[in-house]
Amino acid sequence: MNASDRMLVGQFIERDSAVHRLDPRIKIIGLLLLMIVIMMMDSRSGYAAATVVVLIILLLSKIPLVFYFRGLLPLLPVLILTLLYHTTLGKGQTLLVSYGFLHITVEGILEGIRIVWRILLMILAASALTGTTRPLMLAQGLETLLKPLSKLRVPVEQFSLMIVIAIRFIPTILEEIQRIRLARRARGFEPSNRNPFSRLTEFIPILVPLLVSTARRADNLTFAIEARAYGDGRGRTIFRPLRLTKPDLAAGCLILLIIAILLVIDFNLSNTRI
Amino acid sequence: MKKTVIARQSGWELRDICVELGGTPVLRHIDLRLEPGSWTSLIGKTGAGKSTLVRLIKGLIPEFTGEYRLAGEPIARDRKRRVRVVPEIGFVFQYPEHQIFETTVEKELSFALRMRGDSSKEIAMAIRAILPVFGLREEILHQSPLLLSGGQKRRLAIASVLIANPGLLILDEPTAALDPVSRRELLRVLRAWQRGGLHGERRTVLFISHRIEDVAEYSDRVALLHEGHLLAHETADDLFLQRNDLLIQSGMPLPEAIELLRLTEHLSGRTLSPSSCREADVLEQVKEAWNARKENRRNGR
Amino acid sequence: MLVFDQVGYYYRRGQEVVKEVSFTIQKGEFISIVGGNGSGKSTLAKLMNGLLLAKQGSVALGEQATSDPDQARDVRQTIGLVFQNPEDQFITTNVTDEIVFGLENIRVPPEQIGGRVQDALRATGLERYADAAPHELSGGQKQRAAVAAVIAMQPQFIVFDEATSMLDPEGRNELIKLMRDLHAQGITIIQITHHMDEVLASRRVLLLDQGKLAFDGPTDRFFREVPLEPYGLEQPFAVRIGQQLGWSGEATADWKGRAASQWSIE
Repeated sequence: MNASDRMLVGQFIERDSAVHRLDPRIKIIGLLLLMIVIMMMDSRSGYAAATVVVLIILLLSKIPLVFYFRGLLPLLPVLILTLLYHTTLGKGQTLLVSYGFLHITVEGILEGIRIVWRILLMILAASALTGTTRPLMLAQGLETLLKPLSKLRVPVEQFSLMIVIAIRFIPTILEEIQRIRLARRARGFEPSNRNPFSRLTEFIPILVPLLVSTARRADNLTFAIEARAYGDGRGRTIFRPLRLTKPDLAAGCLILLIIAILLVIDFNLSNTRI
Repeated sequence: MKKTVIARQSGWELRDICVELGGTPVLRHIDLRLEPGSWTSLIGKTGAGKSTLVRLIKGLIPEFTGEYRLAGEPIARDRKRRVRVVPEIGFVFQYPEHQIFETTVEKELSFALRMRGDSSKEIAMAIRAILPVFGLREEILHQSPLLLSGGQKRRLAIASVLIANPGLLILDEPTAALDPVSRRELLRVLRAWQRGGLHGERRTVLFISHRIEDVAEYSDRVALLHEGHLLAHETADDLFLQRNDLLIQSGMPLPEAIELLRLTEHLSGRTLSPSSCREADVLEQVKEAWNARKENRRNGR
Repeated sequence: MLVFDQVGYYYRRGQEVVKEVSFTIQKGEFISIVGGNGSGKSTLAKLMNGLLLAKQGSVALGEQATSDPDQARDVRQTIGLVFQNPEDQFITTNVTDEIVFGLENIRVPPEQIGGRVQDALRATGLERYADAAPHELSGGQKQRAAVAAVIAMQPQFIVFDEATSMLDPEGRNELIKLMRDLHAQGITIIQITHHMDEVLASRRVLLLDQGKLAFDGPTDRFFREVPLEPYGLEQPFAVRIGQQLGWSGEATADWKGRAASQWSIE
């Protein structure tokens, strides 16, 4: 995997865009609200409007759309599976084809498309968040938002460090997977190219060394974090504290407005249910 | 199950290989033909293109011009035009113990043989033969590899490649992070195996290493990379005894024994001729010169 | 002053990894700790800054006992630790954040953090890599980033736990030079290593054999008296040839200089 591939899976991509400059907390809350709305979508117009909103966000981020779509590729098998499941095993009335216990209905197909579309939109929106926000900023934003929970003794600081580490190790682990696959090929293992699910089944033996090395990594990391006096993560000074600016507040209002509009579109036109 | 033919004295050959990364030429017109039955070491300082060449051989680089041939045939490439890693070549990657994926030692050792369709009898024989070579005991065959020590894991991983008896073996820093005694032991085993220890026939080895002393000690031939091209492809004796200038030009260090040899030549004003570039032979000549010096001093000269 | 007093440690009862180890390290020393696999070296390193707490005996740093949880932050600020694997000790996503991490942990006021980061980058020669991500760095550079993260915390002792063993010669030389520079600035250096040339650069050697301290003394006495092969070690070239060629005097890393002078006096 070369460098540009590695940048796709949740990686921050440096650009000078309005989305990049937004306070991470606004972005996180905005994403959450957007995801809730998408989950609630019912009408054709609602889906269309939500799609437009997501596309606008992607374009505003100044990250090439190709990057976003390439990031979807690894998920293709899962999405296809989901679609197939609903198409063949879902409930519905207008029967098209029947084979044994498999019923392909119009409603099933539509339900499948609806669900997959929702997942796609949410993933793209989440990618917009991770693509435009530095991992440390993202973690800081989450930590600040969840701070009230720390009164309930929830380890918010450690949770945010976890996120930074997870993002930081994505390229490393991807490289490791590739090395393991290469080692198997070198000893004569040939994945069958005809079977699109062969990549998935090949994963199982790869998991063994991957889990072993990840466990080892986690051990080493714990010592490294402790050795630099992390403690329980509370009371640390903050080098770059988050500060809400006027543009941030304006963007926040805009987001609330858009969410409201989406809800209205969906509600009002819900009789043209797709 | 189909059996793959293992190429023995197969010519491993790179012809006019060029690689450009980000517009800059990283490998220029590399022509490298491994002499069958020889141990060739590939050396070069950081930035010389060594890691790019190794990645190309590993099938990680799609864009290259030139030919990569095995036994006279161009080697298979995948959809993205990267070289396929083929089982005819035994490939030991760095830190091979991190790629152990089977649940028992026995399964790990036999993986390559099962992939190519050996019978269980053949597999059992091969396992029994390879275990003593690497100092692994039969008792561990049904254990999980996770229970082995770090050194044992490394030896298991390497044994799992050698068990298929490839005629051609590529070793990428096999002694990385090993302590001095383990390192010596492993190299001794590999050299003995290369010379025909297991089935009595010499094998071809490409040894990638940054330890110049190991290269001088164990190689028949040395390929020296400098700024993307092959500056030298000599016998080890020639390179370390006659052509130190090439090493200096490419920024590679000299083995300490050779440095002592040159220093002694400089101090004594004489040229010394060790029988080989191996440390014992070099130091023998050096000792002679120093003893001669002692004699001279004693005789008042 | 770091004092180990009859320290014992086990991961599992009955399997002692460190047994009755006692020694004292003064400020400003340059010490090597050597031993075979399973000798307890890494465990010893972690006992030094309280990552692991002694099950027997005590470890004290000056006046502080490292076992005191309230002092943990101070102890870890005073004794820095650089680990073997460059990848597994890089916690954040770029070099600057990596250095900032430790400083935030020890509550350095935000207005001072920037300056300390710059100093650390300069000391390790990483100014150009301030924004580099770990996957853009070589092994040697990642290790230097780890050192930068540690020295920004202004420790008095730094322990290097096999920190060069996964590096290529260039990376190793960079790190060795860095260790020498830090020692020259008054930082106590404790290196755990199996590279004999690195041992030669230090003045005192501690040898661990299955958890017990088998040798504690000057480096040249170590090479003269201790049989090395049982511990997976070998004599450095500089020592070997001195013995084979019958040189007089002490073995040093600068064997070429020693050779030249030996030739003239013989």
